[in-house]
Amino acid sequence: MDGPLNYTFQFGTVMDRFPELLAGAAMTIRLSAVTMVFGLLIGLVCSIGKVYGPRPVRWLVSSYVEFIRNTPFLIQLYFVFFALPNFGLRLSPDASAVIAMVVNLGAYSAEIVRAGVEAVPEGQIEAGRALGLRRLQIIRFLIVFPALKAVYPALTSQFILVLLGSSIVSAIAAEELTAVANTINSQTFRSFEIYTVVTIMYVAIVFAFRAIFTSIYAFTFARRG
Amino acid sequence: MLRTFTFYEVWLLILAARWTIILSLAAFVCGGSVGIVVAIARIAPYRALRYLMSGYIQFVQAIPVLMLLLLFYFGLNLFGIRVDAWSAAVLAFTLSTSAFLAEIWRGCLQAVPSGQWDAARSLGLNFGRTLLLIILPQAVRMALPPTVGYMVQVVKGTSLAALIGFTELAKAGTQINTITFEPVLVFGTVAAIYFLICWPLSMLSRHLEKQLRVGRMQIPAM
Amino acid sequence: MLIRRVAGFLLGLAVLAGAGLSATTGQAQTVDEIIKRGKVVIAIDTTVPPYGMMDASNQPTGIDVEVANLIGKNLKVPVELVTVNSPGRIPALLSNRVDMVVAIFSITAERALQVSFSIPYAGQSAVLIAPKTTNIKGPDDLKGLKVGVTRGALEDGALTQLNPQGMTLLRFDDGPSVAQAMLSGQIDAMGGGDYGEIYLRKGAKGEEFEQKFPLRAAHFGIGIRRGNPDLLQWLNTFVYQIKNSGELDALSRKYRNNAPMIPLPVF
Repeated sequence: MDGPLNYTFQFGTVMDRFPELLAGAAMTIRLSAVTMVFGLLIGLVCSIGKVYGPRPVRWLVSSYVEFIRNTPFLIQLYFVFFALPNFGLRLSPDASAVIAMVVNLGAYSAEIVRAGVEAVPEGQIEAGRALGLRRLQIIRFLIVFPALKAVYPALTSQFILVLLGSSIVSAIAAEELTAVANTINSQTFRSFEIYTVVTIMYVAIVFAFRAIFTSIYAFTFARRG
Repeated sequence: MLRTFTFYEVWLLILAARWTIILSLAAFVCGGSVGIVVAIARIAPYRALRYLMSGYIQFVQAIPVLMLLLLFYFGLNLFGIRVDAWSAAVLAFTLSTSAFLAEIWRGCLQAVPSGQWDAARSLGLNFGRTLLLIILPQAVRMALPPTVGYMVQVVKGTSLAALIGFTELAKAGTQINTITFEPVLVFGTVAAIYFLICWPLSMLSRHLEKQLRVGRMQIPAM
Repeated sequence: MLIRRVAGFLLGLAVLAGAGLSATTGQAQTVDEIIKRGKVVIAIDTTVPPYGMMDASNQPTGIDVEVANLIGKNLKVPVELVTVNSPGRIPALLSNRVDMVVAIFSITAERALQVSFSIPYAGQSAVLIAPKTTNIKGPDDLKGLKVGVTRGALEDGALTQLNPQGMTLLRFDDGPSVAQAMLSGQIDAMGGGDYGEIYLRKGAKGEEFEQKFPLRAAHFGIGIRRGNPDLLQWLNTFVYQIKNSGELDALSRKYRNNAPMIPLPVF
């Protein structure tokens, strides 16, 4: 058959199925976006709990964070999809993917945001109380906002990792970009072409997200605080 | 074929963890070798080289590790290069690890006060000598905590090799789950083994950070 | 000075990589070459009972594995088994990593564009498997159900082509993942091989499984690289012999619940 480098590339075969690849990419972006929002929320709640909460809460958050950060995401995913049904909780591939990703991001963002929350000076909070601000307002303006601004680079780096990690959910048949690539590969066997195209798509998506994150910073943080 | 989950299965999982450790070490050694070159090139006094390395890091860091695994496992095969799951895994992890370690180490190299470079130049040392004799020894101290922390990510990352058929701990877990069907026990044990490998490393990293009293470096992680 | 060293190092890496690229060429492999080399390298899949699976001491076993060992016995060389997964079979051949593939390799004209098949040594129907308690008689009963398959396998092709209305097809990377999904109730039915489900445990709720209806029948051939007529002829002779001598039928009875080997066409 063909020897090395005698192989005729047929990108056409892959490009014919581009609509499917786009659908996969859309799913990747959807999964990641939802994860970023809810994962960050969990991270915020946890970090505030860790810094200002009572000891049981602090212990709970620490255990959660340590467990997630010292076990692989793939195993966490398998657990949600294959083991939870034993407890009566049967989630679809997409739902399992989101739950696992949110729980995972929650732990990492808890650590990241905590650094920012700890950096808020006590005096700032006391000043807020002295000014008669309600508790929720203090949290929102004097803790969350400055903390997020301070840890923004680390946080967005983690978000990019969420985007990249979404490729792993192909293992439980969620039809995101990597899963679509594997399906096309198993049908056409044009491995080099399909995986090259998909790699470029991932790089493009990541660069786009990086740009979006930069503009969000400019709009939200750079003008105030 | 159908068995219950006993201590024999736990033992099989522990045996599979050997491969996890071996793969992690291979990734770290190879990735580190490439990474240090890239990190140094990243701060070299040649603009074209700096941009090239920066581009390399940005590009590789934007590719999912799973994609790299698939690309090397399936893609290279069609060039007639003999690639099995082990080689593909080592290549993919080397590439990915090199980019992330290069970023971490570049940060450490740059964190050494610039006054050191000036002082070295005034003493007549060139780039290479300065690097070797003055900058690296100080940077190494600073680099220990995040590097050890990144090792945790490398160990966890090896679980993805399961998805190209390499039998390390995660894959052994799915195989045993198919035979015994006790997902809670099987994946619980697998998670525990990973935890036992990773947690000490995390603790070590934190300890080093306090000991060496260096600033916190955020490690990219998942 | 340093930059020259760095450049040299990178150049060295590139040269090594380049050498690696040209290291293996697709030389034709005749029977004599294999015998002279002193071993035969055969790809198997250990996730597809009863053809390829692991036994109690974690060693490969099954019909495919035994056929592979018979090949070695008849060539009078030791056999080196290489485990691949379903999508990895053709790449393993094309990259010269293995000499032949004995891994429920269904014979199709599309695959024959890239590899050569021997005459069939076994066959299987892809069937739909579901819990005994469900009432599924045909593709139309799959409406509203989640069905799992192994990506790219026979059942994947059959169900994708049938495309029953309202069915959700979930493609998993390998057999064990599909099996786990079935056992944990994540899917309502799965595509698999006949006689595969007798190896499935009882599910999470204690349900047992059975075949519901056949999807597609196929025969398995031994796969080799194209352009090796000498090896192909030997393999065909080999298959003819184990059919005639009853060895193949004995294997079928051993692994398929005492069922005889199905009639195998030749081409």
